[in-house]
Amino acid sequence: MTSPPRADAGDSAVIETAALSKVYPGGPGGVTALDGLTVHFAPGITGLIGANGAGKSTLIKILLGLLVPTKGMAKVFGRDCVKDGMSIRQIVGYMPEHDCLPGDVSATEFVTHMGRMSGLPATAARERAAESLRHVGLHEERYRQIGTYSTGMKQRVKLAQALVGDPRLLLLDEPTNGLDPAGRNAMLELIAKIGEEFGISIVVASHLLGEIERICDQLVAIEAGRLLRADTMDSFTKASQTLVVEVEDGLARLADELTRRGLKPRAYQRSLLVPIGGDDTYDAVRDSVADLGLPLSRLERRRHQVEELFRDDADGTGMTLEAADAG
Amino acid sequence: MPADTTTGASAAGVIHDLGYRGYDGPRLGRAQITRALAWHSFRSAFGFGRGAKAKILPVITFVAMCLPAVANAIAMAQGNQQLVGYSAYQPVLRDLVMMIFVAVQAPELVSRDLRSRVLPLYFARPIKTGDYPLAKYLGFTAACAVMIEVPLLLLYGGSVVSVHGGAAVWDQTKALLPGLLAGLMWAVVLAAISLFLASLTGRRAFATGAVAIFFLGTYTLAEILLQVENHAGPGPGPGPQKPGPGQSAAFLAPPVPMAEKISGLFSPFTLFDGVRMWLGGPRTTVAENVLYPGGFGAVYALVLIIALAACLAGLFARYRKARLS
Repeated sequence: MTSPPRADAGDSAVIETAALSKVYPGGPGGVTALDGLTVHFAPGITGLIGANGAGKSTLIKILLGLLVPTKGMAKVFGRDCVKDGMSIRQIVGYMPEHDCLPGDVSATEFVTHMGRMSGLPATAARERAAESLRHVGLHEERYRQIGTYSTGMKQRVKLAQALVGDPRLLLLDEPTNGLDPAGRNAMLELIAKIGEEFGISIVVASHLLGEIERICDQLVAIEAGRLLRADTMDSFTKASQTLVVEVEDGLARLADELTRRGLKPRAYQRSLLVPIGGDDTYDAVRDSVADLGLPLSRLERRRHQVEELFRDDADGTGMTLEAADAG
Repeated sequence: MPADTTTGASAAGVIHDLGYRGYDGPRLGRAQITRALAWHSFRSAFGFGRGAKAKILPVITFVAMCLPAVANAIAMAQGNQQLVGYSAYQPVLRDLVMMIFVAVQAPELVSRDLRSRVLPLYFARPIKTGDYPLAKYLGFTAACAVMIEVPLLLLYGGSVVSVHGGAAVWDQTKALLPGLLAGLMWAVVLAAISLFLASLTGRRAFATGAVAIFFLGTYTLAEILLQVENHAGPGPGPGPQKPGPGQSAAFLAPPVPMAEKISGLFSPFTLFDGVRMWLGGPRTTVAENVLYPGGFGAVYALVLIIALAACLAGLFARYRKARLS
């Protein structure tokens, strides 16, 4: 679902970059974080996917006008990131990856102060802080000191401080970092709600593609500072549908049988991945298992496999994104 | 569901509209945001906006600073002479209390933010990187000024009610103003040094230690050197007796030996006193303190200005670097 247009949504591109490069000093020839990145982000929720070190955080810092690119151009809502950094920061909310909360103040005080820093007058800052905290689901606990919060609550405060200035764009860097599965789901639902109901464009940077793909309207994948692929979610998932088949034993026999039926099964750990051609793929798998009389233990459409698209040449090794999961 | 309440919102009296509302009101500019941050920093220097624990030390130090003024007011009300002067106040007390105040409160302003890694949130706001240290510096300078000037004003108030006649009040006022100016010099320099030192580490204990060691160390060093010179004595000592430009004014006291003047360079507190006297403030006669430096006071002033500039440059550079990390 696309966002309802905000009063001044204007141009269709929220973010645009052209031949954007950033080389940090150090080492022979420096360290290249971004390498000729040309991409455009449409309104809605965009997943910015890449392994750690792919250049996600560098891109975000350039977009906020905090880093000057070595080469190339970047614009947010048509404003140049080098020249108009300050006016961009007025309409962009940023949630960093790492811990960034003082432990000895309450969430209300902290978010109010951050609202002031976003340029809100005192009264408006208090009102919007209360509202932002309510939107992220912090109620009575918001009067408690942040130091007593769980990780999930802290992530919500980080989101609330990004939201307090009523931004038109949110840049969220690894918003599910450190959360347990339930916390991750709750955070993702919250982000989806903000994107869809509040009409705020959102960029979610993550190295866990499988996790964020379900809330995104589009994906931008980068690797080693270069664009791997940028497309809408639909075109990604259509091509990526895979069936996971797991049997207690007889995996090899099943693979042969499926190949005989014209499918292309691929062994992955203790299961087979079968690309879905259409409804008849399901039938073929069912029939194969039944014919061979194998004990079927799992049959499901596989999620989280969009990353295989990014490396269509590599066979079964397209796991770097997920393998890069860091604690 | 929030969606349900918003769709029929215009109907009569929907109380809990849980939908998202944007903000269309005025937005403050960079200067106003910086001012808000300076005010916030000023308040946190006294523990406002924090728990009761954060207020203990500021309150104790502030009360300690005010005690001489109160004692003086009581004494004068009973017909005694003025006990405490505006220029040096109670030198040892003031040096010590200000050392404690900046050592504990400067880290409160800067190390805390480094520790909690909240800086990227500030830099992502519509201000420039330098606005953050600027606001912190302005806020802390104001806080130091309050610590130093309010006791002087109390002293003035307590003295004025006990003197009679416009001339006496005018005398008090004339004595107060240079004291206030000297206090401002203290605030401007102490805030710069302590914030710079505190901004080097996010560990509050280390920051407090660094600031305390710097001020105590330099203070002790200067005092020891002064004592050594005092013992060497102003008599027929072998000290290099250069005929300084301050000689003309030194007909009452024996000339201050050069080595002793140099000793005064080693601590901000002796520099403050030296510069104050060089600018024409009343001269201290206490042996533990730095003596009238004469023309050498220009060197004191120069060193003080260089130290101030270096600390401010260091403070701003610190945050330029922090932005990129």
